[in-house]
Amino acid sequence: MFLPEGSQDEIGTIVANRSKVFETFRRTAEQRNYTEISTPLVEYAETFTNEKVGMKLQNMLKWFDARGQIEVLRPDWTTSIARALSQKPFRQYKWAYQGSIFRQETPGLESRQVGIEIVDLPAILGESECLFFANDFFGRLGLEAVMVELGHAGIFEELVARLELPAGQVDRLRGAMHDKRKDEVYGIARTGGNKKIAEELAALVDAYGPFQMIETYLERWKGEPELSEKLKHIQKLGETLFSIGMEDVIIDLGRVKNLPYYTGILFRGFLKKTGTSCFSGGRYDKLYEQFNRNTTAVGIAFDADILAEQLDRAGNREKICIIANEETLADAEKLRSTYSSSIVDIRFEKPQKGEFSTVLRFTNKHGKWEAEEI
Amino acid sequence: MTISIALTKGRVEKQFLQYLQSRGFDVGPLIEKGRKLLVETDEFTCIFVKGWDVATYVEYGICDLGIVGEDILAETRPDVFDLMPLPFGKCRFALAGKPESIRHNRKRRIATKYPNVTQRFFREKGESVDIVKLEGSVELAPIVGLADAIVDIVETGTTLKENGLVVIEEIQLITARLIANRSALKIKKQSIQPFIEKLHGEGVYK
Repeated sequence: MFLPEGSQDEIGTIVANRSKVFETFRRTAEQRNYTEISTPLVEYAETFTNEKVGMKLQNMLKWFDARGQIEVLRPDWTTSIARALSQKPFRQYKWAYQGSIFRQETPGLESRQVGIEIVDLPAILGESECLFFANDFFGRLGLEAVMVELGHAGIFEELVARLELPAGQVDRLRGAMHDKRKDEVYGIARTGGNKKIAEELAALVDAYGPFQMIETYLERWKGEPELSEKLKHIQKLGETLFSIGMEDVIIDLGRVKNLPYYTGILFRGFLKKTGTSCFSGGRYDKLYEQFNRNTTAVGIAFDADILAEQLDRAGNREKICIIANEETLADAEKLRSTYSSSIVDIRFEKPQKGEFSTVLRFTNKHGKWEAEEI
Repeated sequence: MTISIALTKGRVEKQFLQYLQSRGFDVGPLIEKGRKLLVETDEFTCIFVKGWDVATYVEYGICDLGIVGEDILAETRPDVFDLMPLPFGKCRFALAGKPESIRHNRKRRIATKYPNVTQRFFREKGESVDIVKLEGSVELAPIVGLADAIVDIVETGTTLKENGLVVIEEIQLITARLIANRSALKIKKQSIQPFIEKLHGEGVYK
Protein backbone atom coordinates (compact mmCIF):
# COMPACT_ATOMS: atom_id res chain seq x y z
CA MET A 1 0.00 0.00 0.00
CA PHE A 2 1.24 3.48 -0.85
CA LEU A 3 0.89 6.87 0.79
CA PRO A 4 -0.42 10.01 -0.93
CA GLU A 5 2.09 12.69 -1.96
CA GLY A 6 3.47 14.50 1.09
CA SER A 7 1.97 12.10 3.67
CA GLN A 8 4.32 10.13 5.84
CA ASP A 9 4.36 7.72 8.74
CA GLU A 10 6.34 9.10 11.65
CA ILE A 11 8.24 7.06 14.18
CA GLY A 12 10.26 7.81 17.30
CA THR A 13 12.01 11.13 17.72
CA ILE A 14 9.83 13.30 15.50
CA VAL A 15 6.67 12.08 17.27
CA ALA A 16 8.30 12.56 20.68
CA ASN A 17 9.50 16.03 19.76
CA ARG A 18 6.07 17.09 18.54
CA SER A 19 4.54 15.82 21.78
CA LYS A 20 7.10 17.90 23.64
CA VAL A 21 6.05 20.98 21.65
CA PHE A 22 2.39 20.35 22.52
CA GLU A 23 3.12 19.64 26.19
CA THR A 24 5.40 22.67 26.56
CA PHE A 25 2.82 24.85 24.86
CA ARG A 26 0.07 23.68 27.20
CA ARG A 27 2.25 24.26 30.25
CA THR A 28 3.20 27.75 29.04
CA ALA A 29 -0.41 28.66 28.30
CA GLU A 30 -1.69 27.32 31.61
CA GLN A 31 0.89 29.27 33.61
CA ARG A 32 0.05 32.46 31.70
CA ASN A 33 -3.67 32.11 32.53
CA TYR A 34 -4.97 30.93 29.15
CA THR A 35 -8.10 28.84 28.73
CA GLU A 36 -7.92 26.01 26.23
CA ILE A 37 -10.37 25.98 23.35
CA SER A 38 -11.04 23.39 20.68
CA THR A 39 -13.33 23.75 17.68
CA PRO A 40 -14.69 21.01 15.40
CA LEU A 41 -12.58 19.61 12.61
CA VAL A 42 -15.51 19.96 10.21
CA GLU A 43 -17.11 23.37 9.58
CA TYR A 44 -19.20 25.06 6.89
CA ALA A 45 -17.11 26.57 4.09
CA GLU A 46 -19.02 29.85 4.43
CA THR A 47 -17.34 30.47 7.81
CA PHE A 48 -14.03 30.87 5.98
CA THR A 49 -15.03 32.10 2.52
CA ASN A 50 -17.28 35.01 3.49
CA GLU A 51 -16.24 38.54 2.60
CA LYS A 52 -14.75 39.34 6.03
CA VAL A 53 -12.44 36.31 6.04
CA GLY A 54 -11.79 35.90 2.32
CA MET A 55 -10.15 32.46 2.23
CA LYS A 56 -10.30 30.67 -1.13
CA LEU A 57 -12.62 27.67 -1.37
CA GLN A 58 -10.29 26.04 -3.90
CA ASN A 59 -7.61 25.72 -1.19
CA MET A 60 -9.87 23.79 1.21
CA LEU A 61 -10.70 20.10 1.57
CA LYS A 62 -14.43 20.07 0.98
CA TRP A 63 -17.55 18.07 0.23
CA PHE A 64 -21.33 18.49 0.15
CA ASP A 65 -23.39 17.46 3.17
CA ALA A 66 -26.79 15.75 2.83
CA ARG A 67 -28.53 19.12 2.42
CA GLY A 68 -26.14 20.35 -0.25
CA GLN A 69 -24.11 22.70 1.96
CA ILE A 70 -20.35 22.74 1.51
CA GLU A 71 -18.42 21.45 4.51
CA VAL A 72 -14.64 21.71 4.92
CA LEU A 73 -11.89 20.37 7.11
CA ARG A 74 -10.78 23.26 9.34
CA PRO A 75 -8.39 25.39 7.23
CA ASP A 76 -7.72 28.07 9.87
CA TRP A 77 -7.88 28.22 13.66
CA THR A 78 -8.33 31.96 14.12
CA THR A 79 -11.59 32.21 12.17
CA SER A 80 -12.95 29.06 13.74
CA ILE A 81 -12.26 30.37 17.24
CA ALA A 82 -13.76 33.78 16.41
CA ARG A 83 -16.96 32.00 15.37
CA ALA A 84 -17.00 29.98 18.58
CA LEU A 85 -16.28 32.93 20.88
CA SER A 86 -18.82 35.19 19.23
CA GLN A 87 -21.71 32.89 19.97
CA LYS A 88 -21.43 33.06 23.75
CA PRO A 89 -20.42 35.72 26.26
CA PHE A 90 -17.08 34.92 27.88
CA ARG A 91 -15.22 36.69 30.65
CA GLN A 92 -11.91 35.16 29.63
CA TYR A 93 -9.60 37.14 27.34
CA LYS A 94 -6.83 34.66 26.55
CA TRP A 95 -7.39 31.45 24.61
CA ALA A 96 -5.01 28.66 23.62
CA TYR A 97 -5.49 25.98 20.98
CA GLN A 98 -3.56 23.12 19.44
CA GLY A 99 -4.36 20.82 16.53
CA SER A 100 -4.29 20.35 12.79
CA ILE A 101 -5.37 22.53 9.92
CA PHE A 102 -5.91 21.25 6.39
CA ARG A 103 -5.16 23.05 3.14
CA GLN A 104 -4.82 21.83 -0.43
CA GLU A 105 -1.50 23.61 -0.96
CA THR A 106 0.13 22.01 2.12
CA PRO A 107 2.22 18.93 1.25
CA GLY A 108 0.34 16.03 2.80
CA LEU A 109 -2.64 18.42 3.30
CA GLU A 110 -2.25 18.51 7.11
CA SER A 111 -0.13 20.78 9.27
CA ARG A 112 -0.13 21.09 13.04
CA GLN A 113 -0.34 24.36 14.91
CA VAL A 114 -0.33 25.60 18.47
CA GLY A 115 -1.45 29.14 19.08
CA ILE A 116 -3.14 31.80 21.15
CA GLU A 117 -5.98 34.25 20.56
CA ILE A 118 -6.45 37.33 22.74
CA VAL A 119 -9.72 39.27 22.60
CA ASP A 120 -11.03 42.38 24.36
CA LEU A 121 -7.65 43.50 25.70
CA PRO A 122 -6.00 46.89 24.99
CA ALA A 123 -3.93 46.72 21.79
CA ILE A 124 -0.41 47.04 23.16
CA LEU A 125 -1.15 44.63 26.05
CA GLY A 126 -2.49 41.95 23.71
CA GLU A 127 0.32 42.31 21.19
CA SER A 128 3.05 42.34 23.83
CA GLU A 129 1.50 39.27 25.44
CA CYS A 130 1.64 37.41 22.09
CA LEU A 131 5.35 38.05 21.76
CA PHE A 132 6.11 37.57 25.47
CA PHE A 133 4.35 34.22 25.14
CA ALA A 134 6.52 33.36 22.13
CA ASN A 135 9.65 34.27 24.08
CA ASP A 136 8.55 32.23 27.11
CA PHE A 137 7.54 29.26 24.95
CA PHE A 138 10.79 29.22 22.96
CA GLY A 139 12.82 29.53 26.17
CA ARG A 140 11.10 26.45 27.61
CA LEU A 141 11.74 24.57 24.35
CA GLY A 142 15.40 25.58 24.42
CA LEU A 143 15.12 27.50 21.13
CA GLU A 144 17.05 30.72 21.61
CA ALA A 145 17.92 31.97 18.12
CA VAL A 146 14.58 33.29 16.90
CA MET A 147 14.25 36.59 15.05
CA VAL A 148 11.01 38.56 15.33
CA GLU A 149 9.77 40.71 12.45
CA LEU A 150 7.26 43.50 13.06
CA GLY A 151 5.10 45.14 10.40
CA HIS A 152 1.79 46.96 10.17
CA ALA A 153 -0.95 46.18 7.64
CA GLY A 154 -2.26 49.74 7.94
CA ILE A 155 0.75 51.47 6.38
CA PHE A 156 0.24 50.06 2.88
CA GLU A 157 -3.53 50.40 3.16
CA GLU A 158 -3.24 54.05 4.23
CA LEU A 159 -1.05 54.97 1.25
CA VAL A 160 -3.11 52.97 -1.25
CA ALA A 161 -6.40 54.49 -0.10
CA ARG A 162 -5.12 57.89 -1.22
CA LEU A 163 -4.75 56.63 -4.80
CA GLU A 164 -8.46 55.74 -5.07
CA LEU A 165 -7.70 52.82 -7.39
CA PRO A 166 -10.37 50.28 -8.43
CA ALA A 167 -10.56 47.24 -6.11
CA GLY A 168 -8.97 44.93 -8.70
CA GLN A 169 -5.96 47.21 -9.06
CA VAL A 170 -5.60 47.42 -5.27
CA ASP A 171 -5.50 43.62 -5.10
CA ARG A 172 -2.84 43.51 -7.84
CA LEU A 173 -0.87 46.19 -6.04
CA ARG A 174 -1.09 44.28 -2.75
CA GLY A 175 0.13 41.14 -4.52
CA ALA A 176 3.06 43.00 -6.08
CA MET A 177 3.97 44.47 -2.67
CA HIS A 178 3.78 41.00 -1.09
CA ASP A 179 6.27 39.76 -3.70
CA LYS A 180 8.43 42.91 -3.38
CA ARG A 181 8.02 43.40 -7.12
CA LYS A 182 9.07 47.00 -7.02
CA ASP A 183 8.74 47.80 -10.73
CA GLU A 184 5.16 46.52 -10.77
CA VAL A 185 4.27 48.30 -7.51
CA TYR A 186 5.41 51.57 -9.06
CA GLY A 187 3.73 50.83 -12.39
CA ILE A 188 0.32 50.08 -10.87
CA ALA A 189 0.54 52.92 -8.35
CA ARG A 190 1.36 55.40 -11.14
CA THR A 191 -2.01 54.65 -12.73
CA GLY A 192 -3.52 56.38 -9.68
CA GLY A 193 -2.11 59.65 -11.01
CA ASN A 194 -0.08 60.58 -7.91
CA LYS A 195 3.67 60.26 -8.57
CA LYS A 196 4.65 61.10 -4.98
CA ILE A 197 2.54 58.30 -3.48
CA ALA A 198 3.68 55.91 -6.22
CA GLU A 199 7.31 56.63 -5.25
CA GLU A 200 6.45 56.26 -1.57
CA LEU A 201 4.90 52.84 -2.23
CA ALA A 202 7.90 51.77 -4.34
CA ALA A 203 10.21 52.84 -1.50
CA LEU A 204 8.08 50.85 0.94
CA VAL A 205 9.19 47.67 -0.85
CA ASP A 206 12.68 48.25 0.56
CA ALA A 207 11.56 49.35 4.03
CA TYR A 208 12.79 46.24 5.82
CA GLY A 209 15.80 45.70 8.04
CA PRO A 210 17.08 46.43 11.55
CA PHE A 211 14.58 47.82 14.06
CA GLN A 212 16.51 51.10 14.22
CA MET A 213 15.37 51.83 10.63
CA ILE A 214 12.11 52.97 12.13
CA GLU A 215 13.78 56.27 13.10
CA THR A 216 14.43 56.98 9.41
CA TYR A 217 10.77 56.54 8.59
CA LEU A 218 9.59 58.57 11.59
CA GLU A 219 11.64 61.43 10.18
CA ARG A 220 10.45 60.76 6.61
CA TRP A 221 6.77 60.74 7.61
CA LYS A 222 6.86 63.39 10.35
CA GLY A 223 4.18 65.42 8.52
CA GLU A 224 1.98 62.34 8.12
CA PRO A 225 0.09 61.78 11.40
CA GLU A 226 -1.71 58.60 10.22
CA LEU A 227 1.54 56.92 9.19
CA SER A 228 3.53 58.24 12.16
CA GLU A 229 0.96 56.87 14.56
CA LYS A 230 1.44 53.37 13.12
CA LEU A 231 5.22 53.69 13.26
CA LYS A 232 5.09 54.80 16.89
CA HIS A 233 2.92 51.79 17.67
CA ILE A 234 5.54 49.46 16.17
CA GLN A 235 8.26 51.36 18.00
CA LYS A 236 6.50 51.04 21.34
CA LEU A 237 5.99 47.32 20.87
CA GLY A 238 9.60 46.81 19.76
CA GLU A 239 10.99 48.73 22.72
CA THR A 240 8.85 46.64 25.07
CA LEU A 241 10.42 43.52 23.55
CA PHE A 242 13.93 44.95 23.95
CA SER A 243 13.16 45.63 27.63
CA ILE A 244 12.68 41.93 28.34
CA GLY A 245 15.82 40.97 26.44
CA MET A 246 14.32 40.11 23.04
CA GLU A 247 16.98 41.77 20.94
CA ASP A 248 16.59 40.12 17.55
CA VAL A 249 13.83 42.34 16.25
CA ILE A 250 13.61 43.52 12.65
CA ILE A 251 10.92 45.47 10.79
CA ASP A 252 9.25 45.25 7.41
CA LEU A 253 7.03 48.28 6.88
CA GLY A 254 6.01 46.94 3.47
CA ARG A 255 4.19 43.91 4.90
CA VAL A 256 0.66 43.55 3.56
CA LYS A 257 -2.27 41.58 4.89
CA ASN A 258 -2.68 38.18 3.26
CA LEU A 259 -6.27 37.90 4.48
CA PRO A 260 -8.78 40.79 4.49
CA TYR A 261 -9.33 40.74 8.26
CA TYR A 262 -5.86 41.89 9.32
CA THR A 263 -6.01 45.50 10.48
CA GLY A 264 -2.85 46.40 12.37
CA ILE A 265 0.37 44.94 13.72
CA LEU A 266 1.73 41.90 11.89
CA PHE A 267 4.43 39.68 13.33
CA ARG A 268 6.46 36.74 12.15
CA GLY A 269 9.26 34.66 13.66
CA PHE A 270 12.25 33.25 11.82
CA LEU A 271 14.67 30.60 13.06
CA LYS A 272 18.00 32.35 12.61
CA LYS A 273 19.88 29.15 11.85
CA THR A 274 17.75 28.02 8.92
CA GLY A 275 15.66 31.09 8.07
CA THR A 276 12.50 29.01 8.43
CA SER A 277 9.37 30.87 9.42
CA CYS A 278 8.16 29.37 12.72
CA PHE A 279 5.30 31.65 13.78
CA SER A 280 3.09 34.38 12.38
CA GLY A 281 0.19 36.45 13.56
CA GLY A 282 -1.17 39.90 14.05
CA ARG A 283 -4.14 42.08 14.83
CA TYR A 284 -7.53 41.38 13.24
CA ASP A 285 -10.17 43.45 15.00
CA LYS A 286 -12.43 43.33 11.91
CA LEU A 287 -12.77 39.56 12.03
CA TYR A 288 -15.34 39.76 14.81
CA GLU A 289 -17.48 42.34 13.00
CA GLN A 290 -19.15 39.59 10.96
CA PHE A 291 -20.51 38.24 14.25
CA ASN A 292 -21.73 41.71 15.29
CA ARG A 293 -19.12 41.96 17.97
CA ASN A 294 -17.04 45.11 18.21
CA THR A 295 -13.83 44.13 19.94
CA THR A 296 -10.05 43.96 19.72
CA ALA A 297 -8.40 40.71 18.68
CA VAL A 298 -4.82 39.60 18.19
CA GLY A 299 -3.21 36.20 17.92
CA ILE A 300 -0.17 34.19 17.02
CA ALA A 301 0.13 30.70 15.54
CA PHE A 302 3.22 28.54 15.90
CA ASP A 303 4.11 25.85 13.37
CA ALA A 304 4.37 22.77 15.60
CA ASP A 305 5.97 20.69 12.84
CA ILE A 306 8.78 23.20 12.29
CA LEU A 307 9.41 23.58 16.04
CA ALA A 308 9.51 19.81 16.53
CA GLU A 309 12.22 19.54 13.87
CA GLN A 310 14.41 21.98 15.81
CA LEU A 311 14.40 20.17 19.13
CA ASP A 312 17.36 18.11 20.28
CA ARG A 313 17.00 14.49 19.49
CA ALA A 314 15.61 12.58 22.43
CA GLY A 315 18.67 10.34 22.04
CA ASN A 316 20.86 13.09 23.47
CA ARG A 317 19.64 12.13 26.93
CA GLU A 318 21.58 9.44 28.80
CA LYS A 319 20.40 5.98 27.72
CA ILE A 320 20.79 3.14 30.18
CA CYS A 321 20.12 -0.54 29.69
CA ILE A 322 19.56 -2.83 32.67
CA ILE A 323 20.10 -6.49 31.87
CA ALA A 324 17.89 -8.58 34.10
CA ASN A 325 16.38 -12.03 34.19
CA GLU A 326 13.10 -13.42 35.43
CA GLU A 327 14.46 -13.49 38.97
CA THR A 328 15.76 -9.90 38.98
CA LEU A 329 13.00 -8.24 36.93
CA ALA A 330 11.39 -6.54 39.93
CA ASP A 331 14.78 -5.31 41.21
CA ALA A 332 15.51 -3.93 37.73
CA GLU A 333 12.24 -2.00 37.75
CA LYS A 334 13.06 -0.55 41.20
CA LEU A 335 16.48 0.47 39.91
CA ARG A 336 14.97 1.98 36.74
CA SER A 337 12.73 4.26 38.79
CA THR A 338 15.80 5.87 40.40
CA TYR A 339 16.93 7.31 37.02
CA SER A 340 14.24 9.95 36.58
CA SER A 341 15.95 12.02 33.88
CA SER A 342 17.41 9.21 31.78
CA ILE A 343 16.01 6.83 29.23
CA VAL A 344 16.12 3.37 30.84
CA ASP A 345 15.25 0.08 29.18
CA ILE A 346 15.13 -3.36 30.84
CA ARG A 347 16.18 -6.33 28.73
CA PHE A 348 17.01 -9.97 29.17
CA GLU A 349 19.68 -9.91 26.45
CA LYS A 350 22.81 -7.78 26.11
CA PRO A 351 22.07 -4.86 23.75
CA GLN A 352 24.00 -4.15 20.57
CA LYS A 353 27.18 -2.13 20.97
CA GLY A 354 26.56 1.64 20.91
CA GLU A 355 22.82 1.35 21.52
CA PHE A 356 23.12 2.57 25.15
CA SER A 357 25.63 4.83 26.89
CA THR A 358 25.52 2.71 30.05
CA VAL A 359 24.74 -1.00 30.44
CA LEU A 360 24.09 -2.48 33.89
CA ARG A 361 23.85 -6.17 34.63
CA PHE A 362 22.54 -7.85 37.79
CA THR A 363 25.00 -10.30 39.26
CA ASN A 364 24.57 -12.48 42.29
CA LYS A 365 27.17 -11.72 44.95
CA HIS A 366 27.05 -13.93 47.98
CA GLY A 367 23.35 -14.62 47.48
CA LYS A 368 22.44 -10.96 46.90
CA TRP A 369 21.63 -9.45 43.50
CA GLU A 370 23.58 -6.25 42.69
CA ALA A 371 23.72 -4.14 39.52
CA GLU A 372 27.13 -3.32 38.11
CA GLU A 373 28.24 -1.59 34.94
CA ILE A 374 29.69 -3.72 32.18
CA MET B 1 28.12 35.61 5.23
CA THR B 2 28.36 34.37 1.61
CA ILE B 3 25.28 34.58 -0.56
CA SER B 4 24.16 31.78 -2.85
CA ILE B 5 22.65 32.23 -6.30
CA ALA B 6 20.75 29.77 -8.49
CA LEU B 7 21.41 30.57 -12.11
CA THR B 8 19.56 29.40 -15.22
CA LYS B 9 21.99 27.41 -17.38
CA GLY B 10 22.52 28.34 -21.01
CA ARG B 11 21.81 31.66 -22.68
CA VAL B 12 20.55 33.42 -19.53
CA GLU B 13 23.73 32.26 -17.76
CA LYS B 14 25.97 33.85 -20.40
CA GLN B 15 23.96 37.08 -20.42
CA PHE B 16 23.94 37.26 -16.62
CA LEU B 17 27.68 36.70 -16.35
CA GLN B 18 28.31 39.44 -18.93
CA TYR B 19 26.01 41.71 -16.96
CA LEU B 20 27.74 40.83 -13.68
CA GLN B 21 31.09 41.64 -15.27
CA SER B 22 29.77 44.98 -16.51
CA ARG B 23 28.72 45.78 -12.94
CA GLY B 24 32.25 45.17 -11.65
CA PHE B 25 32.00 41.61 -10.31
CA ASP B 26 34.81 39.09 -10.78
CA VAL B 27 33.19 36.34 -12.86
CA GLY B 28 36.39 34.52 -13.89
CA PRO B 29 35.70 31.37 -11.79
CA LEU B 30 32.13 31.24 -13.12
CA ILE B 31 33.16 31.45 -16.79
CA GLU B 32 35.90 28.84 -16.34
CA LYS B 33 33.69 26.42 -14.43
CA GLY B 34 33.80 23.62 -17.03
CA ARG B 35 31.07 21.12 -16.21
CA LYS B 36 30.86 21.99 -12.53
CA LEU B 37 27.34 22.69 -11.32
CA LEU B 38 28.43 24.47 -8.13
CA VAL B 39 31.11 27.17 -8.13
CA GLU B 40 32.31 29.32 -5.24
CA THR B 41 33.88 32.74 -5.70
CA ASP B 42 35.03 35.25 -3.09
CA GLU B 43 31.69 37.02 -3.35
CA PHE B 44 29.11 34.25 -3.74
CA THR B 45 28.32 30.61 -4.40
CA CYS B 46 26.61 29.85 -7.70
CA ILE B 47 24.68 26.76 -8.73
CA PHE B 48 23.74 26.14 -12.35
CA VAL B 49 20.35 24.55 -12.91
CA LYS B 50 17.52 24.50 -15.45
CA GLY B 51 15.30 27.55 -15.50
CA TRP B 52 12.28 25.61 -14.25
CA ASP B 53 14.29 24.54 -11.17
CA VAL B 54 15.77 27.92 -10.22
CA ALA B 55 12.71 29.10 -8.31
CA THR B 56 12.45 25.74 -6.53
CA TYR B 57 15.99 26.05 -5.15
CA VAL B 58 15.23 29.60 -4.00
CA GLU B 59 11.79 28.83 -2.56
CA TYR B 60 13.17 25.96 -0.48
CA GLY B 61 15.99 28.16 0.86
CA ILE B 62 18.85 26.27 -0.77
CA CYS B 63 19.79 29.49 -2.55
CA ASP B 64 19.25 33.06 -1.38
CA LEU B 65 18.81 34.54 -4.85
CA GLY B 66 17.94 33.29 -8.33
CA ILE B 67 18.12 34.50 -11.92
CA VAL B 68 15.22 33.20 -13.95
CA GLY B 69 12.98 34.12 -16.88
CA GLU B 70 9.72 35.88 -16.10
CA ASP B 71 7.92 33.33 -18.31
CA ILE B 72 8.73 30.61 -15.77
CA LEU B 73 7.70 32.80 -12.83
CA ALA B 74 4.40 33.63 -14.54
CA GLU B 75 3.72 29.95 -15.15
CA THR B 76 4.78 28.48 -11.78
CA ARG B 77 4.09 31.41 -9.40
CA PRO B 78 6.63 30.30 -6.78
CA ASP B 79 6.49 31.66 -3.21
CA VAL B 80 9.53 33.95 -3.49
CA PHE B 81 10.28 37.66 -3.59
CA ASP B 82 10.40 38.79 -7.23
CA LEU B 83 12.74 41.73 -6.83
CA MET B 84 13.52 43.29 -10.18
CA PRO B 85 13.81 42.94 -13.93
CA LEU B 86 17.25 42.48 -15.46
CA PRO B 87 18.26 44.06 -18.76
CA PHE B 88 18.45 40.82 -20.74
CA GLY B 89 16.27 37.88 -21.73
CA LYS B 90 13.77 40.34 -23.17
CA CYS B 91 10.90 38.81 -25.15
CA ARG B 92 7.13 38.58 -24.89
CA PHE B 93 4.28 36.16 -24.42
CA ALA B 94 2.05 36.14 -27.49
CA LEU B 95 -0.93 34.34 -28.95
CA ALA B 96 0.05 33.24 -32.46
CA GLY B 97 -1.44 31.21 -35.27
CA LYS B 98 -2.01 30.99 -39.00
CA PRO B 99 -3.24 34.30 -40.47
CA GLU B 100 -6.58 32.69 -41.31
CA SER B 101 -7.04 31.54 -37.68
CA ILE B 102 -7.59 35.09 -36.44
CA ARG B 103 -11.29 34.75 -37.27
CA HIS B 104 -12.95 31.84 -35.53
CA ASN B 105 -16.46 30.91 -34.56
CA ARG B 106 -15.95 27.87 -32.35
CA LYS B 107 -14.13 26.96 -29.14
CA ARG B 108 -10.42 27.02 -29.92
CA ARG B 109 -7.72 24.55 -28.99
CA ILE B 110 -4.49 26.25 -27.87
CA ALA B 111 -1.09 24.53 -27.72
CA THR B 112 1.46 25.84 -25.23
CA LYS B 113 4.29 25.11 -22.83
CA TYR B 114 2.58 27.51 -20.43
CA PRO B 115 -0.92 26.19 -19.57
CA ASN B 116 -1.38 28.40 -16.48
CA VAL B 117 -0.44 31.59 -18.30
CA THR B 118 -2.71 30.57 -21.17
CA GLN B 119 -5.63 29.78 -18.90
CA ARG B 120 -5.34 33.13 -17.08
CA PHE B 121 -5.06 35.04 -20.37
CA PHE B 122 -8.22 33.52 -21.85
CA ARG B 123 -10.15 33.79 -18.58
CA GLU B 124 -9.43 37.51 -18.47
CA LYS B 125 -10.66 37.74 -22.07
CA GLY B 126 -13.78 35.78 -21.12
CA GLU B 127 -13.15 33.06 -23.71
CA SER B 128 -13.32 29.31 -23.07
CA VAL B 129 -10.54 27.33 -24.77
CA ASP B 130 -9.09 23.83 -24.63
CA ILE B 131 -5.41 23.77 -23.76
CA VAL B 132 -2.91 21.20 -25.08
CA LYS B 133 0.35 21.07 -23.14
CA LEU B 134 3.47 20.61 -25.25
CA GLU B 135 7.12 20.54 -24.17
CA GLY B 136 8.64 22.26 -27.23
CA SER B 137 8.41 23.11 -30.95
CA VAL B 138 5.02 24.54 -30.18
CA GLU B 139 4.90 26.32 -33.57
CA LEU B 140 4.31 22.95 -35.21
CA ALA B 141 0.91 22.47 -33.57
CA PRO B 142 -1.18 24.82 -35.79
CA ILE B 143 0.66 23.67 -38.94
CA VAL B 144 -0.22 20.01 -38.48
CA GLY B 145 -3.69 20.67 -37.09
CA LEU B 146 -3.07 19.79 -33.43
CA ALA B 147 -4.21 23.26 -32.33
CA ASP B 148 -5.87 26.37 -33.70
CA ALA B 149 -3.28 28.67 -32.16
CA ILE B 150 -0.38 28.74 -29.70
CA VAL B 151 0.68 30.76 -26.67
CA ASP B 152 4.44 31.00 -26.53
CA ILE B 153 7.36 33.34 -25.92
CA VAL B 154 8.38 35.34 -28.95
CA GLU B 155 11.74 37.08 -29.20
CA THR B 156 12.29 38.22 -32.81
CA GLY B 157 9.36 36.48 -34.47
CA THR B 158 11.63 34.70 -36.96
CA THR B 159 10.54 31.18 -35.99
CA LEU B 160 6.89 32.16 -36.28
CA LYS B 161 7.48 33.71 -39.70
CA GLU B 162 9.42 30.75 -41.04
CA ASN B 163 6.53 28.49 -40.04
CA GLY B 164 3.87 30.71 -41.59
CA LEU B 165 2.47 31.97 -38.27
CA VAL B 166 1.65 35.51 -37.15
CA VAL B 167 1.22 37.16 -33.77
CA ILE B 168 -2.51 37.47 -33.13
CA GLU B 169 -2.25 39.22 -29.78
CA GLU B 170 0.54 40.36 -27.45
CA ILE B 171 0.06 39.07 -23.90
CA GLN B 172 2.92 40.26 -21.71
CA LEU B 173 6.47 41.62 -21.99
CA ILE B 174 9.03 39.49 -20.14
CA THR B 175 12.68 39.69 -19.08
CA ALA B 176 15.04 37.77 -16.85
CA ARG B 177 14.39 38.61 -13.19
CA LEU B 178 16.16 38.53 -9.85
CA ILE B 179 14.24 36.56 -7.22
CA ALA B 180 14.98 36.02 -3.52
CA ASN B 181 14.08 33.58 -0.77
CA ARG B 182 11.51 35.20 1.55
CA SER B 183 13.49 34.63 4.74
CA ALA B 184 17.03 35.02 3.41
CA LEU B 185 16.37 38.50 2.03
CA LYS B 186 15.62 39.68 5.56
CA ILE B 187 17.94 37.56 7.68
CA LYS B 188 20.94 38.05 5.37
CA LYS B 189 20.13 41.61 4.41
CA GLN B 190 23.62 42.85 5.25
CA SER B 191 25.12 40.53 2.64
CA ILE B 192 22.36 40.55 0.05
CA GLN B 193 21.48 44.25 -0.07
CA PRO B 194 24.93 45.48 -1.24
CA PHE B 195 24.91 42.79 -3.95
CA ILE B 196 21.49 43.91 -5.19
CA GLU B 197 22.47 47.57 -5.12
CA LYS B 198 25.66 46.86 -7.06
CA LEU B 199 23.63 44.77 -9.50
CA HIS B 200 21.00 47.31 -10.43
CA GLY B 201 22.73 50.62 -9.80
CA GLU B 202 20.04 53.11 -10.79
CA GLY B 203 16.47 52.65 -9.56
CA VAL B 204 14.65 49.97 -11.50
CA TYR B 205 11.16 51.37 -11.31
CA LYS B 206 11.59 54.71 -13.07
